[in-house]
Amino acid sequence: MSRQWRSLDELVDSRSFRELFAAEFPSLTTAADWKRRDILKCMGAAIALAGLDGCERQPDERAFPYVRQAAGETLGEARFYATALEFDGVAQPVIGKTRAGRPIKLEGNPDHPASGGKTDAFTQAALLDLYDPERSQAVLHKGRIADWQAYDAMAHELARRMDASGGKGFRLLTGATRSPTQLRLIGAMLKRWPAARWHAWSAVPTASTAPDLSRAHAIVSFDHDLLGPGPLQTWNARGWAARRSAYHTGEGEALLFVAEPTPSLTGVTASHRLIAGTARLPVLLAALLDGTVAGLSPREKEWVALASRSLVRNPGRGLVTVGAHHPPALQQLARRLNDQLGNAADGALPAGPVEADPIEPLLAAMHAGEVKALMVLDTNPVYALPEFAEAIERVPLRIHAGLHADETAFRCHWHAPLAHDLESWGDARAADGSVCLIQPLVRPWLDVRSKAAQLATLAGRSSSDHALVRETWGSAWAAGANFEEQWQETLRGGFRPASSEGVTPASAQAVSASAKAGAETPPRSNDELTVLVRADPTVWDGRFSDNPWLQELPKPLTKIVWGNAIHISPALAEEEGLENGDLVELSVAGRSVSGPIWIVPGQERRTILVHLGYGRHHAGTVSENLGFNAALLGPAGSSHSDATLRKVGGRQLVASTQSHFAMAPDEFVRFVPSPNTPLRAEPVRANMYPPLPMTEPSWGMAIDLDLCIGCNACVVACVAENNIATVGKEQVAKGREMHWLRVDRYYEGPPDDARQVFQPVPCMHCENAPCEMGCPVNAAVHSPDGLNLQVYNRCIGTRTCAAYCPYKVRRFNWFDWTKEDAPELQAARNPEVTVRGRGVMEKCTYCIQRLQNARIDGEVDEQPDWATEVQTACQQACPTQAIVFGDVSDPKSPVSRRKANGRDYSLLADANTRPRTTHSARIAREDEA
Amino acid sequence: MPQIFRPSADTWLRLAAATMALLLSGGLASAGGFAGSTYVNQVGWIEEQPVPFSHKHHVGDAGIDCRYCHASVEQSARAGLPSTHVCMTCHSQIWTGAEVLAPVRASYANDRPIAWMRVSQLPDFVYFNHSIHVKRGVPCVECHGRIDTMPLTYRAEPFQMQWCLDCHRDPAPRLHPVGEVTMMPPPPRTDAAARRYGEQLIRAHQIDLGRLVNCETCHR
Repeated sequence: MSRQWRSLDELVDSRSFRELFAAEFPSLTTAADWKRRDILKCMGAAIALAGLDGCERQPDERAFPYVRQAAGETLGEARFYATALEFDGVAQPVIGKTRAGRPIKLEGNPDHPASGGKTDAFTQAALLDLYDPERSQAVLHKGRIADWQAYDAMAHELARRMDASGGKGFRLLTGATRSPTQLRLIGAMLKRWPAARWHAWSAVPTASTAPDLSRAHAIVSFDHDLLGPGPLQTWNARGWAARRSAYHTGEGEALLFVAEPTPSLTGVTASHRLIAGTARLPVLLAALLDGTVAGLSPREKEWVALASRSLVRNPGRGLVTVGAHHPPALQQLARRLNDQLGNAADGALPAGPVEADPIEPLLAAMHAGEVKALMVLDTNPVYALPEFAEAIERVPLRIHAGLHADETAFRCHWHAPLAHDLESWGDARAADGSVCLIQPLVRPWLDVRSKAAQLATLAGRSSSDHALVRETWGSAWAAGANFEEQWQETLRGGFRPASSEGVTPASAQAVSASAKAGAETPPRSNDELTVLVRADPTVWDGRFSDNPWLQELPKPLTKIVWGNAIHISPALAEEEGLENGDLVELSVAGRSVSGPIWIVPGQERRTILVHLGYGRHHAGTVSENLGFNAALLGPAGSSHSDATLRKVGGRQLVASTQSHFAMAPDEFVRFVPSPNTPLRAEPVRANMYPPLPMTEPSWGMAIDLDLCIGCNACVVACVAENNIATVGKEQVAKGREMHWLRVDRYYEGPPDDARQVFQPVPCMHCENAPCEMGCPVNAAVHSPDGLNLQVYNRCIGTRTCAAYCPYKVRRFNWFDWTKEDAPELQAARNPEVTVRGRGVMEKCTYCIQRLQNARIDGEVDEQPDWATEVQTACQQACPTQAIVFGDVSDPKSPVSRRKANGRDYSLLADANTRPRTTHSARIAREDEA
Repeated sequence: MPQIFRPSADTWLRLAAATMALLLSGGLASAGGFAGSTYVNQVGWIEEQPVPFSHKHHVGDAGIDCRYCHASVEQSARAGLPSTHVCMTCHSQIWTGAEVLAPVRASYANDRPIAWMRVSQLPDFVYFNHSIHVKRGVPCVECHGRIDTMPLTYRAEPFQMQWCLDCHRDPAPRLHPVGEVTMMPPPPRTDAAARRYGEQLIRAHQIDLGRLVNCETCHR
């Protein structure tokens, strides 16, 4: 067994890490030197106060029934609506759960082929954006609060002027969108004002194709983060997992070759990862295309040979793909290779009836003073494209519509508040080309307008978004059938399958991505530093930077929260004498940013990575003073050679959870050489406790590490379902984060090219739970069906259980995190789960509220097989189905079958805790291909 | 060697010890009494409501079934406070001009909810489910008392954990046929008959009595 390590500190076994590990609560290691008497005094007071706590009289409470109850609503029961969210032009189909008219949880639409009931982390967190107390609430005119009447008057006057001039000088800039209604409205506008132009731009270049990975037995990716965060993550992850699961049962192969300069989720999941600087990618692709291996290093040669052999062995079942941010020439090479091998080049995302112009002509026109009026809809170029900020000043009339009064709103004369997708009518296209209808889960409580309504306003119409969407489909579906019936049917299901739409796939071309993004200058020498600007894995292009759930979500590979960093390789760190947290200035062609260093094992030696999405100037209080704006170096997706790195002295706090909750040394992630090779059997350990009787059902969980891609969807789903508090950067740095489910990331091997593996660790629900033996007030108890329970109202906060827990899954409420939450945020909470107070220990409950409700509903409705359908929140979100939960007393249940696959093992088996949560070993064939 | 303690010291010590014991036991007793007092558990205390709604009049005199207004009690965790619309189904026809009903009419006209005071209130960490209790034959009267005799509604039972557990530990004598659940009160029967019926029901539904007193039954 080779050693698995969490951070470079641990690898070199630094003293500070050992101290951190030795302390159960790292935050206490710096506590003042307490006297014995002080401790006794505090204990006495705490116990006295704890006792008094039970004596208070319940405060009076008001109850507000409906005036008119909605038809079909049962009080106290959740209702579910099919809708969708549009993320960079791709619909994420969801089922929204509402209680008393409040949306409280989003799940994937199980009937939709692009979701299958699964979601990514962004979709899970979108709920909180709806409730954001700092969302834009009013029309602003020159920074002052105005009203819609004034805005409409301005729009009317603008429309009159444009009618006179045929739209000359008018430009519309939107984010990436494939919404049929928006495209129809834009099309109508361009027809009415032929001289006007529509530009579409998204800060992050996204792929224009969504191939079906479930059919790809061999994938060769050149810096294309297929499985990484983005609008197509759920689609790709599901496809890849379907292929990988088939491979587990012995059907075909599931090979993934990745060449990339910096670790990505796809790279660390790959069977064969090659570290290659951006400049090496064309060389490698050419080698793969025509077999010229001259000039390749032995490692590269081997990778190309293996990849080539795998592709040839799987003609028509392979895929060669290049990241969307790379130049078209490289994309062309990949297409040629796919054509040669007969790989289906399908999966192109459909384009609309009207083609958008890219942003470059707009920039040029703005500089030339040709733009007389500009409307920016739901995108923030002033933040993510610094040259836009200069150019926009030359436009005499500037209008912005968005969810937040952001940087772009600040530079515009008018700002109109936008409705969130979850409170709008609209439509969008999913990754498979099907049309999703967007219906509101709640009536907007702010005076806002949806995207469709904003576009209509521009044309001087004041139609409701509902009418606009119906208008779009009224003509499209009319053929034969009753429209009203089709409309209701589509609303109920949430979408119309792609086949019924007659989708015409667009030719493969990058949608709305800035063409400049791919521009890169080849490095002149091997020693030049190359800077990569990429979207942030948790706040993306900054649009989620005011979402605390996503800010506190550890970035999958670095586990950094609440900020960004300048990521460098261990070799470069050694060369420059840099440590994590050292402040440096990074310059490219006269532009520079400064930020803290973070050393990333597995990054190409001379590559420096920075993430967009931080350094916001006009955003909410959540993202205030966090990080630096990487866009100052260049747009997302760009790479720049000839960079310089200069130590400026001083250090900056980088909050990373990578060393938090470390467990005693063990073979955390196990490996098997093939799907059919079982792990060696663990010896049965003697047990001084009588075996736990198995009731029906008995709950258990199995997590397949060979399917886990570390995407974090489970973590955010858990936060949303279980009312988990966010604590902020300083508290996370002290090890006080509250996430019940953490995804550990282990390294194995040399730091320069370390294998990286993920391991989700929820509460293990041990049958012999050490925490239960430690609790002095019996707040940690066991249920007969195998749940390890934490009774909040009994807990007095001694934290003994956390000290006893070998898996480090217990979380303590050091403060009352939620008491001062805005009323909007309180409305977003799940009413089925207790909101925990200060001084109480909490942990994963296997979503006991879902289990209990399923049991009660099953008994009330007399359905004895209720236990087969219940899912935990993490399981339900997981796009690769790595997490399976269910009844372990039934040998035919999915979880029992997973546990019997031969790869199943208990974490920290030596502790003999007999956990109900087990993991399946990862498959790492040394001879793959 | 001189005496350290004066003769009275012994008396003082005894007195101090007795006082301490008295204070401690008195304190404990009064704390216990306080926790069980109707001041804390609010049994019998009438909440002032925006409308002086009389269950006695509607249930006792008019004979309206509980489920007419508390419609979700059989399907949902919550019995549900009726919407203003439900009040107005009758009161748009009868007592249309009554002064006491002015807030109800105002609520309906202005689309603002009536702000009732909660009578049956549980702590936020307790998850009670009406539907399963009704389905298993726990009559309304067990927890809500003789609502048909209350001109103004008050809490009939303490709604404290001890009281919940009394029933969860021994539910048999309190169970009735489902059809009798909303009766005020259900038909009388002998203690032996009640227990016999309850035990049969528990067997028929395979109710695990051990599970009923587990933490996770009510706390999440």
